[in-house]
Amino acid sequence: MIDADVRVHAGSIEKQLAELWRNEKQAHDDAVTRAALWNVVAHTWNSKQHAHATEVLASASASVPQRTIVVRADPNAPHDMQAWISANCHLLGDSRQVCSEEVSIVAGGERVDHVAPLVNALLLPDMPVAVWWLGDLPNDHAYVESLLEPADRLIVDSSQFDSAADFALVARIAEQTTTAPADVNWARVEEWRAASAAVFDPPAMRARLQSIAHVRVTTAGGTLGATSEAVLYVSWLMAQLGYEIPFELATQSEEEGISAVDIRFRDNTTALIRGDRGRGVVKCSAAHAETELDCITRKRGRGLSDLIVRLLKQPESDRVYLEALRIARDVAARVAASHAA
Amino acid sequence: MRPMTTVDANPLRQGLEQERVPDPSCLVIFGASGDLTQRKLIPGLYMLAHDGLLPQGQTIVGIARQDMTDEQFRASMRAACDEHARTRPVDDAIWESFARGLFYVSGEFTDPAAYTRLKARLEEFDRTRGTAGRRIYYLAVPPQFFEKIAELLGKENMVCDPEKGGPYTRVIIEKPFGHDLASARELNQVAVSTFRERQVFRIDHYLGKETVQNLLVLRFANGIFEPFWNRQYIDHVQFTVAESIGVEKRGNYFETAGIARDIIQNHMLQLVSLVAMEPPVAFEANAVRDEKVKVLRALRPIEEAVRGQYAEGSVMGERAAAYREEANVDPNSRVETYAAIKVFLDNWRWAGVPFYVRAGKRLPKRVTDISIHFRPAPHPLFSRLGLRMQPNVLAIRIQPDEGISLRFDSKLPGPTVRTAPVTMEFRYATSFGAEPPEAYERLLLETMLGDATLFARRDEIETAWSWLDPLLHRWANDPAPPPFYEAGTWGPEEANVLIEKDGRKWRRP
Repeated sequence: MIDADVRVHAGSIEKQLAELWRNEKQAHDDAVTRAALWNVVAHTWNSKQHAHATEVLASASASVPQRTIVVRADPNAPHDMQAWISANCHLLGDSRQVCSEEVSIVAGGERVDHVAPLVNALLLPDMPVAVWWLGDLPNDHAYVESLLEPADRLIVDSSQFDSAADFALVARIAEQTTTAPADVNWARVEEWRAASAAVFDPPAMRARLQSIAHVRVTTAGGTLGATSEAVLYVSWLMAQLGYEIPFELATQSEEEGISAVDIRFRDNTTALIRGDRGRGVVKCSAAHAETELDCITRKRGRGLSDLIVRLLKQPESDRVYLEALRIARDVAARVAASHAA
Repeated sequence: MRPMTTVDANPLRQGLEQERVPDPSCLVIFGASGDLTQRKLIPGLYMLAHDGLLPQGQTIVGIARQDMTDEQFRASMRAACDEHARTRPVDDAIWESFARGLFYVSGEFTDPAAYTRLKARLEEFDRTRGTAGRRIYYLAVPPQFFEKIAELLGKENMVCDPEKGGPYTRVIIEKPFGHDLASARELNQVAVSTFRERQVFRIDHYLGKETVQNLLVLRFANGIFEPFWNRQYIDHVQFTVAESIGVEKRGNYFETAGIARDIIQNHMLQLVSLVAMEPPVAFEANAVRDEKVKVLRALRPIEEAVRGQYAEGSVMGERAAAYREEANVDPNSRVETYAAIKVFLDNWRWAGVPFYVRAGKRLPKRVTDISIHFRPAPHPLFSRLGLRMQPNVLAIRIQPDEGISLRFDSKLPGPTVRTAPVTMEFRYATSFGAEPPEAYERLLLETMLGDATLFARRDEIETAWSWLDPLLHRWANDPAPPPFYEAGTWGPEEANVLIEKDGRKWRRP
């Protein structure tokens, strides 16, 4: 097994990684394959987030091999920079292992300013770069943007957002930079999008796409972050259908995220979409003419590792998300205003 | 043109993994109690439901001789999924929803009354499940039933003519598509007597494999390969379809077929076509199949071929009986269980480049592999130093452990110039983790979507038979038994001679 958490000097990380693989090759010959499809840079603010990111990305690397760089930058910490290297290895089902590399960097004080150039130097060439921003986005937008300079993808989690300005910042990054944002919460909404799409698959129902009168989303509530799945859902619906749909977010406290969607049509008939967490499915039903429609969609894993894998498995930026994001900026502002009221 | 699918009309599907979901139809499986239905079709359909790729209202109707209720059929199919579904255990909630669309009609395929009953049920589903007259008939039955089934479907007005509009009717046919050119033509004639060619979906499950489809992506989505993909740079190409198993319970069938009919006429020639074809003008059914047929038409009549039959030996550490000792096999059988053929394509791109194809049973391991052997560097710069350079080889592993590797020479570290071959490897499992879907899942979905790109067309089938027929006649008329090879080896010595006399050797896959 490859050494884990070898502390190295920041200036010799690449050299030490090469040494690590050379030793492994001598020990195990062809049993270990080194692979990478992405550079993933996780940006964290504290040791708890750092440990969390390390664990999540170690798990994700089994499905999406990657060079992982986990950064903890704390301007208030002592002036210092430390680095560790290790490898995440996963058995392929036989005696072979596939391994991804992981670099941890902890910087404090003014050394935080050196993080971005160091990360830049450690990126594998010809592989795309995803920056995963843990937690709420900072008010210092310039700092975010400096780290995004080499990034093809910015991964955020809007369930951590505390203001509509965070949606606005992500939307601005989408519009003004070459970095494509992706939202972990968007992956959480996917099962609701799939179930909603299934409602309108039958040709007879498709004609009703333009006659939605109202949408009621039952969601966890209390903060903007807690309702952000619902914000993304209604924004998506409006973006895809191309018209303003009156909506209501009904809050409940038992489950995180969305638990039900009621779509009411102009003729007062409804389509109902319900989560069944116990059975791990989302069900939908609607009636039209003689046909009773019912559909079922498997709920996907909500673990962060699963969600990040799903985002990384999309090689291109998600145009549907970007369209929804444009509208989410305004929807979030309305929801935040209602919370304030 | 790809027919209109839900994605064209349902904007909520955009960007979802399940972007292409077909309209609901009645899929009628003739031969619902058979092995194929239980091992592949129903588990494949369940997996499509599991992955959210089946539309609500999709209806599956099994028809077979055995008396069974809908409930009994569902229970039997549940057991099949418990054993054969790609992801297990079966998800109860998904199964309940899927099973509500499973129905059964008992009857003889030759009995008109069975079709009357079937028709009545299908019309009921059109009303209650929204299938709206859309029909797919899957003939998972021996070819001798095709004619009668097609005739009775026609007589009961259960087939819509696409020229007259209305809901679609499609028919899926399983191989073997005949056992020679004449029988293939007869079978095709039967099919087109009731259906139009574009309604007929001939399954060659190799085309449903991800790695086979990746051949097109490798060749035509990457700029670096196509310039070298011709006689100027390629010395020869090898194709190996090896099975470690014998004929198992298929002795009866294999005695009438042999490996050339079982593998080379269909799977192997599909692989040859995909490797050798010109770029199609579009990634759509007729454009791709037009190019594949051109390859088959360019096949030079076979001049050099070797056959063999396995004798007793050892495979994977176990004793393996000789072919002639297998159940339902003639003890004096002259049927080939191994074939190797040197193939030439008489066209501009491949003139003079041999394609060596081999397929066999009871070989050391199960593997399907294509290797492109490049010509050596034009100027032997390093030969003067006494170094023996290895030609570059691009190897495409179709199964198992799917992937692609490129072999090239590299300098060994040190003060003197010494070289060694090294391999650059891409493996699906390493890079993508997720298990690819079963070939049948993909092919069933494509049929529902009406995309025939991954299915064989009539002229493909007939052109392939017209190339192979003379060899089959030659072998059939040869009174000598095929050379024997020990089970667990790579075939008879004659197969080595076939390639080694050209100064080449089989690559060990």
